[in-house]
Amino acid sequence: MLRYRLRVLLRPEQHARDLDEEIRFHLSLEAMQREHAARGTLTSSDARWAARRRFGNLTTTKEEARHMAGLGFFDTAEQDVRFALRSFRRAPGFTAVAILTLAVGIGANTAIFSAVNAMLLRPLPFREPERLMQVNLTVPPRGDAAPRDNLPWSYPKFVVFRRAQTIFDDLTLWAGTQATVRVGTDAERTGVEFADGRYLPTLGVRTAIGRNFSADEDAKPGGSRVVILSDAFWQRRFNADSSVLGRALTVDGDPYTIVGVLRPGFRGMSGRADVLVSFMSQDQQTLNEPWSHGYDLIARLKPGVTPEAAKPVVRQLGVVVNNAYPNSEIKGERWGAVGRELNGTRVDPLVRRSLLVLLGAVGLVLLIACANVANLFLVRAASRRREIAVRLAVGAGRARLVRQLLTESVVLAVLGGAAGVAVAWWGVTLLATLNPVATLRTQRLGGIGAVSFAAIRLDPTAFAFLAALTVLTGLVFGLVPALQATRPSLTGDLKNETEQSRLTGVRGLTSRNLLAIVEIALAVVLLAGSGLMIKSLGKLLGVHPGFDAERVLTMRFNLTDVGRDSLPAFYDQLIERLEAIPGATNVGLADCPPLNGGCNGTELIHRDRPKPMPGTEPSVGVHWVTPGWFATMRVPLLEGRVFTRGDRIGVQKVVVISERTAKNYWPGQDPIGRPVSVGQGGFYDDTAYVVGVVGNVRFGTLDTLPVPDVYLSYYQSPRARMMMFVRTAGDPRAIVGAVRREAAALAPGVPLYDVRPMRERVADAMAYARFSALLLAAFAVAALALAALGTYGVISFGVSQRRKEIGIRVALGATRTSVVRLIVGQGISLAVIGGAMGLVGALATTGVLRSLLYDVAPSDPMTLSAIVVLLVAAVVVASWIPARRAAAVDPVEALRG
Amino acid sequence: MAKASGPSKSELLKGTLDMLILQTLSGQPLHGYAIAQQIELLSDAVLTVEQGSLYPALERLQKRGWVTSKWGASPTGRRARYYTLTATGRRQLGEEISDFDRVLVAINRVMRRV
Repeated sequence: MLRYRLRVLLRPEQHARDLDEEIRFHLSLEAMQREHAARGTLTSSDARWAARRRFGNLTTTKEEARHMAGLGFFDTAEQDVRFALRSFRRAPGFTAVAILTLAVGIGANTAIFSAVNAMLLRPLPFREPERLMQVNLTVPPRGDAAPRDNLPWSYPKFVVFRRAQTIFDDLTLWAGTQATVRVGTDAERTGVEFADGRYLPTLGVRTAIGRNFSADEDAKPGGSRVVILSDAFWQRRFNADSSVLGRALTVDGDPYTIVGVLRPGFRGMSGRADVLVSFMSQDQQTLNEPWSHGYDLIARLKPGVTPEAAKPVVRQLGVVVNNAYPNSEIKGERWGAVGRELNGTRVDPLVRRSLLVLLGAVGLVLLIACANVANLFLVRAASRRREIAVRLAVGAGRARLVRQLLTESVVLAVLGGAAGVAVAWWGVTLLATLNPVATLRTQRLGGIGAVSFAAIRLDPTAFAFLAALTVLTGLVFGLVPALQATRPSLTGDLKNETEQSRLTGVRGLTSRNLLAIVEIALAVVLLAGSGLMIKSLGKLLGVHPGFDAERVLTMRFNLTDVGRDSLPAFYDQLIERLEAIPGATNVGLADCPPLNGGCNGTELIHRDRPKPMPGTEPSVGVHWVTPGWFATMRVPLLEGRVFTRGDRIGVQKVVVISERTAKNYWPGQDPIGRPVSVGQGGFYDDTAYVVGVVGNVRFGTLDTLPVPDVYLSYYQSPRARMMMFVRTAGDPRAIVGAVRREAAALAPGVPLYDVRPMRERVADAMAYARFSALLLAAFAVAALALAALGTYGVISFGVSQRRKEIGIRVALGATRTSVVRLIVGQGISLAVIGGAMGLVGALATTGVLRSLLYDVAPSDPMTLSAIVVLLVAAVVVASWIPARRAAAVDPVEALRG
Repeated sequence: MAKASGPSKSELLKGTLDMLILQTLSGQPLHGYAIAQQIELLSDAVLTVEQGSLYPALERLQKRGWVTSKWGASPTGRRARYYTLTATGRRQLGEEISDFDRVLVAINRVMRRV
């Protein structure tokens, strides 16, 4: 029995040949028998024919035999596929529309899924990533400032934590930054990470050649200067030369020795490090400073310790760290520590939310596409009603017919899916080019750099998703039409069609109406969502950031070679040279560009008021600027004066404050001349006087209100890292060459970097919001187009079915207008029902957008009513075309036909 | 179709074809044509098999493991497929006969009462 089955399954052709031979043998015997019995009255060919007649239908027999043998399923499947392809060839228009619709739906879903997979699902590229935790310090709320639970570590505090803990196998401290790396004479500004010897073991990453940092190099501050290169940097700068070990390079001017090269693909936690610098080679003073919080802590749990079990232990350890280093400035304030699964921190909650919203949106588009294709199938099934009825009547099983129709829809879906691969590829390429560095960092989005849009690709998971989605799609849009088309109502369909068409059409028409309504409803939900996002983007575009970004060039110098004391003189010369460039009108320096986030913050002390209670000190953002910066950025002066060149070291200290600072801390009073101290820049012990008030500038993000800011004069408190701002008369890019020349003349070999028009920085600050809004809008437009197409299909089919009725109406005196009104009214009633359902759905679901919206309520009535108008317009257009066709019906022709 | 459908000939009762095939094979291995001939012969030509339907039935019986087949030489010298009853097939035949008998008895009883 098993042998029999195997033979049938493995050698089907052999089996078929055997059957043929057996039947031939049978027929020849029967023919011989007949010829013999007829004693010569029968020719041998007549005998053969008689034998054939006696045998019955040859083909059916063979088919049945094969069906019995168990080949039936594959056989009929092959038949069905062939039949489906034949019938698609006969209806190229229908097929093209359906395939295109499905390709867009399936492809877009796969692209977005790839993004979700890379950003949210794919395991982190580290060994046993579920055992990795990120530990941060926590700061209680203070004054206006909210509590923080994501503060990085200082090295001394980390040492206390590491000594006290027993739940982790391995702990590491790292920090990512940018540095000038010089190999020979070639200097390059690139990403570096300070990392200790436990960094790679904790993550479970090996070096490809060479070694990791040793325990010796980790032992104490002032360790030897060694680096490990990224594979990319090694390829780029050393042509993958394996004798690179032991060679020298400089990082920000300091000499280092290369000891290893990382495996390809790993570029540190930041995802963009080219050089790992040994942790202990950093400036000793920074390392020994317990209040210099700049390092991230990653820890690997011991086997058997769950993250949940570790969290309370980490909180306890936070108390230990706080006891070792209590806040000396604010007594009684208790800092702590908090642990999170590393995987939970992989992307910013905003990115997670927007990706899931996009996935949901694109899923809705596919549903609409399915409804549309199902509709096309229903229309097609209606025209094939007779064919199907005939087949049912001659004994085709309903299950068999359903299977055949389902095969058709799955074949169509597979064609669509195949075309969808191209759409997905295009989409993924587009997504991967989103510059994660620019967009995510300028918006201060959190998350692990190693998990970025650059990691999005069409991998096997994505293809599996596409394949599953394709089959599912085929079944979803095929099932309803298949079941409906084969519903046995033989008599009606076999009788004269024209008599019966209206009766039999009724049920089909209701399903089609229902599908159109569902399409409209889903489209409304999507339109509402994208409308809100667009409105939010518009509001964001309308935000005045407090400065004029047009025609301003920004750039940075890396001046590690210039001593701090000679910096003002250097910058003086530079400003002078830049101001002399034709086309440059103003030049100013500031330590931290607007819309960048992460500017310094500190406390403001009123010298003429009693000391406030600990924890209630006013907090301010603090900025170092040159006198020309306000004019360069066109930040308006509201009161008093801005800095002059005379506000320098050795004279009375002064500060300029922002409008918000004045309103917050001197409500209803004149702040000019007030004595204050500022907790940074050497302004803590001295008294400075407020000399001016300027307009508010958004230093954080576009969508957060400016905090109170205080400006210090650069000449009174020099800083090493300053950004240059040059206002130009024309295109700021036009002076880049001249700026480079002047800089090179002043400081040969010092790289000028981050050279970008300010306008671009502003655009970057909105890039992610724009990306989400535009993608969602694209989906919504696709949804609207599909829904309109679906409505058009339903109405125009209805018109073709009602030709006769319309003919009678016209014959009885109905005007063209009333016919058009009748048909368009039908479309509008679909729109009203679908629109109402959609609005309910929209109100129920747009809440998920709340965290993505700026200054727009999820139930914004303006947006929702605009959507309704748009929808009705689309539906009127969609039903107008068939309505005009209906109006053109010639009654004579319609009634005769 | 040349199905002999005179008044003296009966169409097979549904489901009895399998039983008849098994029965004809209970004596000796036979090829397809011979099975058809046997059934017609033994029933005095009352039962006619639509010959075509024989082969799907034989596939079915093989699939269930009640008969096996082997190619051999026929008396005329041509290659023919011979079907043999298996042990399970023999058991199945016993069951089908007793089922059939029960049905016959029941029908007879009904007919006598009327």
